[in-house]
Amino acid sequence: MRLIRSRRSVFVLLSGWLLALAALAVFAIHGLHISTDLRSFMPPPQTPDQKLLMDQIGEGPGSRLLLLAIDGAPETRLADLSRGLADAVRKDAAHFSLVVNGAFDPAAFDDALLPYRYLLSPTLDTHTLDASYLGDQLQQRVEDLGSPAATLLKPLLARDPTLETLVLAEHWSPPKPPSLRDGVWFSAEGAALLLTETRGAGFDPAAQGAAIDALQAAFHALPDVGTAHLEVSGPGYFTVMINAKTRGEADRIGAVSTLGFIVLLLLAYRSVPSLLLAALPVLSGGLAGIAALALLFGSAHGITLAFGFTLLGVAQEYPIRLLSHRRAGEDALTSVRALWPLLATAIASAAIAYLAFFASGVGGLQQLAVFTIAGLLVAGLSTRYLLPRVLPSRFRDVAEIPGIATAMRLVDRVPRPRWLPWLLLLVSLLALWRAPGSMWQNDLAALTPVPQDMLIRDAKLRGELGAPDVRYLLVLKAADADAMLALSESVATQLDALVAQGALDGVELPSRYLPSAATQRARQAKLPDRATLATALADASRDLPFRTDLFDPFLADVERARSLPVLSAEAFAQSPLGTRLASMLVQREDGALGLATLSGVHDAQAIEAFADTTQGHVRLLDLKAASESLVIAYRERILRALGLALVLLCATVVVALRSLRRAWHVIAPMSLATLLVLVVERGCGISLSLFHLVALTLAAGLGLHYALFFERPVADAAEARRTLHATLVCVISALLVFGMQALSSLPVLRAIGLTVALGVGFHFCLSILMARERRR
Amino acid sequence: MSTSRATPPDAAVTKPDPATLVAALKRATPARTPYTEVRFSGMLDRPLILHGELEYSGPGRLGKRVDTPYKEQTTITDGSATVQRGERAPRTFSLSQAPELEGFLRGFTALLGGDAASLQRDFELSASGTSAHWQLQLKPRDSRLARRISAIEVDGAQDTPRCFRTHEGDGDLGVLLVDTLADTKLTTRPTPGQLDALCRGIETR
Repeated sequence: MRLIRSRRSVFVLLSGWLLALAALAVFAIHGLHISTDLRSFMPPPQTPDQKLLMDQIGEGPGSRLLLLAIDGAPETRLADLSRGLADAVRKDAAHFSLVVNGAFDPAAFDDALLPYRYLLSPTLDTHTLDASYLGDQLQQRVEDLGSPAATLLKPLLARDPTLETLVLAEHWSPPKPPSLRDGVWFSAEGAALLLTETRGAGFDPAAQGAAIDALQAAFHALPDVGTAHLEVSGPGYFTVMINAKTRGEADRIGAVSTLGFIVLLLLAYRSVPSLLLAALPVLSGGLAGIAALALLFGSAHGITLAFGFTLLGVAQEYPIRLLSHRRAGEDALTSVRALWPLLATAIASAAIAYLAFFASGVGGLQQLAVFTIAGLLVAGLSTRYLLPRVLPSRFRDVAEIPGIATAMRLVDRVPRPRWLPWLLLLVSLLALWRAPGSMWQNDLAALTPVPQDMLIRDAKLRGELGAPDVRYLLVLKAADADAMLALSESVATQLDALVAQGALDGVELPSRYLPSAATQRARQAKLPDRATLATALADASRDLPFRTDLFDPFLADVERARSLPVLSAEAFAQSPLGTRLASMLVQREDGALGLATLSGVHDAQAIEAFADTTQGHVRLLDLKAASESLVIAYRERILRALGLALVLLCATVVVALRSLRRAWHVIAPMSLATLLVLVVERGCGISLSLFHLVALTLAAGLGLHYALFFERPVADAAEARRTLHATLVCVISALLVFGMQALSSLPVLRAIGLTVALGVGFHFCLSILMARERRR
Repeated sequence: MSTSRATPPDAAVTKPDPATLVAALKRATPARTPYTEVRFSGMLDRPLILHGELEYSGPGRLGKRVDTPYKEQTTITDGSATVQRGERAPRTFSLSQAPELEGFLRGFTALLGGDAASLQRDFELSASGTSAHWQLQLKPRDSRLARRISAIEVDGAQDTPRCFRTHEGDGDLGVLLVDTLADTKLTTRPTPGQLDALCRGIETR
């Protein structure tokens, strides 16, 4: 009778649990926006450079550029494809803000902008529109009319006899443009080259992936693509590629290790239902964590989630403990009640320790804390209150497995010299002191390295296209946009001198695209009035065959240019020609910033030295140094949080065990094992990154369990064997999962895998050595 | 339009077949000839007269040197044109940027290459006159090209073209006198009518 009712209640409870999980999953998926933008992961910026970096990270003009090369067809075909792709990209305003391929696009000059050409072009700085200059120009136009270029130039001629639009197009091409063949850029190897600027941030894999897909789709939609192919390079491409590679490898490793994990649990408990049910607490914890993030933050960074799931690995131990500690003739609820005080101590101490992360003030770490605490609590509570009620009543008491008794005897026979831990500590500290290489890895990019051949290809393309460096930016600071443009003009000669000295290959200043209002006015003042210009023109064309009234549109344009209001940065940035300026201009509350891109920086110190002479108006921003300083700041906060977490953890363990001595037996092996992991990794010359720190934290959480359970006084030998069985299952499964990751080719997975696998090994050995010591 | 290749051996008295005519024009490369070019343009109130040398060095490859009234060298190879003027840096532009120009040059070099098939791809051909004084008319098939160039007329004697007249869509006219006509003395302001007569051989020798 009781059996039947319990069967029905098991069914009801299990269905309810699964339904709740499904609801939670739906809520979590819809409620949480997963961000791939590095900014939501980073600590709040402190220095001006960091602030600018946060504004600009992945959004700077350099990092949003994609370099394109079309190859695999005859040159004229490639040139057509280049023009076709540029047209298609120009129409795709959702993904791209700019595309250049070397071809002049007269349509970019709309009617309203055309008269501005005399204010934008530097021609009037060195010439005046007098009879001698016009005479020289008109003579050239006569020659143009006699050349095959006539058909190209005839439409421009009447309105623009000095071909100022072409002068501007040339002026705006990159500092060191690639060679023009067939009207478009070509590399030395004969590939057509293009440059596009994406709307999405450079380090946002989702946005960049969409842009690259759009590029490939546009390319393959071109007529007669044939054997030609499009190659993409640049920061955005690397982001997408590395993301895909990391995910692919993580998925492969995950699949293999999950399979191993399943086999291991089947071997350990010989029960498929137990195995399936044991997955529920971790699943519940993970979903609860995501739901908590969705409720409290609405969004989380992908890295935060990855860290969170890593840390939640501890929760897999809860159901394993319950399965191993069930004893013959006792129902699961009774077993879990006996186990709960210790399990609760472990869960509570971990959750309290993670509160330190919450107090860190770093968005990413707070999210991590919320995810982990919610996950651990839900996983723990469901192991305590739900899992025992649905577990099958038939099971095998693991204390009776023959191998376990042998293992127990082996463990008991291990000598436990009291001096050994102290010796280990001493040797560790010495080794840590003498370890080779630098202690910390500050370059997050080093963990997700771009393959060498891609870097080489990128550098080559970048060099040929004269595309700006991703690392350096010259920041011009002024009260408003126009003052910034004036500043940009005033430093141009000094920068040209630096280019001549070889400190860098080229600089692209905002004033190249738009002169300051003062310069525009100066040029405007040089424009002759209609009568003067008409006389000069008549003078200039006296001996030339041009029709008398041919240049009336030119006279009208110049007359209009004389009274135009100067072109403001804001207005110009809105026009199709102003996209380049728009990406170089940052409006801030305290003024305007101009971002000049540099290409081929050879001597950053020389540029720095020049910037120092400008009283802070011009600064060289090293994006790499700025992002490294952010990583350092982030790490300092993690370390501080970890220190506080350790204190909270010790306090919780002392309170829970009500004994300093017992707490010592739990915390000492855990601390020493963590130290040993550090020693081994540093001894191998590995520099530690944020990922190592998170992995160390997970390992310490696992180590806490081993020590707590080994330290626990047990009533009989059978219970000691169950503890050993549970711990062995936990250790082997952790070694399996993280050992696989340690073999990965990707440094970020290797960092986590190696650290946790080493940690689990050391924690297990030291727990046997130190936590069980007193019990004999 | 006739594309028959089975032409009677004696074509002197019958209407000449354009394909046969074109095939006979094939030059050994490189072929050079002095030229005089007269350009009538709506932008100019008197024609522009150039003297220099043309060099045809194979399909799609053409060189044009201007000696007077100024010095210039234009080289057209593989779909792009490079214009070099005095000491100035050469300017290169793609012919496909100006499809009309490309079509014209394709026709021009196909003519000099005696390549009737490729000429007929781009133009409608018709011929008139006798083998001693023939006329070939090329009308562009491509509408974009036709907008820029309404027709090209070629006058010649036996296997030698002597005059190319390009009627541009905007009414401009370019007359290229080559071979025996290249050295013709012209008045300072020749009219299209005078050149027309010259090309048709009405006033020659």
